[in-house]
Amino acid sequence: MFPSPGLMAQSLLDGIFLGFLYSLMALGLSLVFGVMGIINFAHGDFIMLGSYLVWLIANSVRTDPSLVSIVTVPLFFVVGAAIYTIIIRPVFGKEPLIQIAVTVGVGYVLQNTALMFFRAEPRAVQSTALNLYIGLGPVNIHAAKLVTALLSSVIVIGVHYLLTKTWVGLTIRATAYDREVATLMGINVNKVYLLVFGLGIALTALAASLWMTFGQANPYIGTSFGLLTWVIIALGGLGGVSGLLASSLIVGVMQSLTMTLASPTISLTVPYLVFLVVLWFRPQGLFGRRE
Amino acid sequence: MMMNIRKLLVSLLTILLPMLAGLPIPYLLNFNQYYILLALQSVIIASVALAWNIIGGYAGQLDLASFAYIGLGGILATELMINYNITPWLGMLLGSGISAALAFIIGYPLFRFGIRGVWYALSTAALVVILHESVIMVLGPYDYYIPFVEGWYYLRFRTWDNLYYFSLFILAGVIFLNLYIGRSRLGYYLRSIREDEVAAEAVGIDVRKYKLLALVIYAAILGFIGYIYIVSQRTFSYKTFSGPQSVYIAIIGIVGGLGSVSGVMTAAIFLKIVEEYLRGFLGGVLPGLHLLLFGILLIVVGVLRPGGLSTFIEPLLKRTKTRLMGGKV
Repeated sequence: MFPSPGLMAQSLLDGIFLGFLYSLMALGLSLVFGVMGIINFAHGDFIMLGSYLVWLIANSVRTDPSLVSIVTVPLFFVVGAAIYTIIIRPVFGKEPLIQIAVTVGVGYVLQNTALMFFRAEPRAVQSTALNLYIGLGPVNIHAAKLVTALLSSVIVIGVHYLLTKTWVGLTIRATAYDREVATLMGINVNKVYLLVFGLGIALTALAASLWMTFGQANPYIGTSFGLLTWVIIALGGLGGVSGLLASSLIVGVMQSLTMTLASPTISLTVPYLVFLVVLWFRPQGLFGRRE
Repeated sequence: MMMNIRKLLVSLLTILLPMLAGLPIPYLLNFNQYYILLALQSVIIASVALAWNIIGGYAGQLDLASFAYIGLGGILATELMINYNITPWLGMLLGSGISAALAFIIGYPLFRFGIRGVWYALSTAALVVILHESVIMVLGPYDYYIPFVEGWYYLRFRTWDNLYYFSLFILAGVIFLNLYIGRSRLGYYLRSIREDEVAAEAVGIDVRKYKLLALVIYAAILGFIGYIYIVSQRTFSYKTFSGPQSVYIAIIGIVGGLGSVSGVMTAAIFLKIVEEYLRGFLGGVLPGLHLLLFGILLIVVGVLRPGGLSTFIEPLLKRTKTRLMGGKV
């Protein structure tokens, strides 16, 4: 039985909205990996912990989850900078396996901190101003998802401009291009890395705030978001913001269509299978190049 | 001539020592079934982590799919036993075969297309999720219990002692394989791949072939152990294909020390004891505390001592061994 065109359109639309949010989720990871070459396996767990924090704050002061980001984003920036200084900097230049292992350890700590404080129950924010639907022909547009998609794309493009049009962005790109020459040009590489890692983690807090306007927090979303964001980077390559957006939308739509056409239980299988096959045949990603 | 016999004896002792040390444990524990089950589980985890040591420790590939192979091999053997009354002795061999086949199917394209480092780790992590989700579609979202059958034919017993002794044999076998590979040509190839894959390829090592071989050996061991793992857990389901558990195995391998048999074994048993101790005392109050501590331990090891526990244990072992060999190595 094939679903009605209306249902298909709805599913497609939801997938696109989700895709924009995914691009924001993957943005921080892409920055950290692209500039520093650091493989962060804890990225998804930061989103997870951010979601729980949003739930905690939004419910206790009765405010909209998207506003909570005013608190969580600076907090996560500081946390990111601290993690960089204490944990990431000492493993620079060590075997990749040890680098990955350290971030896996960070992810483990975050996951089980969440489990300890919030138990394994899924949590959703009770009141959000955006929880209304706009009917548009056969589809219903969830305002929260629409706003999330709009804000995500604005931020992704904003960061793109930050990187390409500003002095700070030039410094970051120079460091990514050649660390040693950048040092010779008088760039404080360590400061750049601190900034980039802090920014990468701060962006997860923002993504978490937007996610909580319609989603749920549970200790396991960390793993699935972590893998999904890596899948997006693998598909998009490190070519730039257009590759990131395109691959995020593909993953979002793929996931949404799988849920509608097949079953929600296998919503991750399809993007992962595509990821495996793309990795085999186009290791540089669909849209960009990778070193 | 004397020296060679002595050397052989010492090598034999190294393999049999964990087994000999393990044999009297049920007596020491006064046949307390709860503790023997814990001992059985730690021996299984140690065997799994030592199998991981071949692909992760020697070859340096961060494999995060151990429970994909354990689940596949174990569930095959269990289903064969339940539905066709086929003895797990045969089922475990078939499980081992099917896991090795899966590893080949997954590993061949991965290594053929030069996927390594983070992309290898991600691919294996994705494999576990894919199997986890696909198995829900096949088995449904249920937990299955093994019907109560007893005897050596089914490798299931009223008490845990016999299975524990059986698992010691598996552990000895895995230790032997580790030491054998470690000293063979394959072991040197794998370690050179871990240190620098491009350089290894440049000196003429068939990197793809040996990585694939390491992966298949690892998967075959896990497929074999699968049935014993499921029996020790008393139940199986799609949840057997567990991502976090697979990561946990890699943590043991790294905390123990890449490529170090004694380190990995110590880490497996030590972490199991810590886990049970903390679960017993604080499990109701702070679930996940032991995992939190393991995470911190992994970070500390990675940052301060990438050699892991083996940097403490191996010098100690070497000294003992030198003494046993009469002052010469």
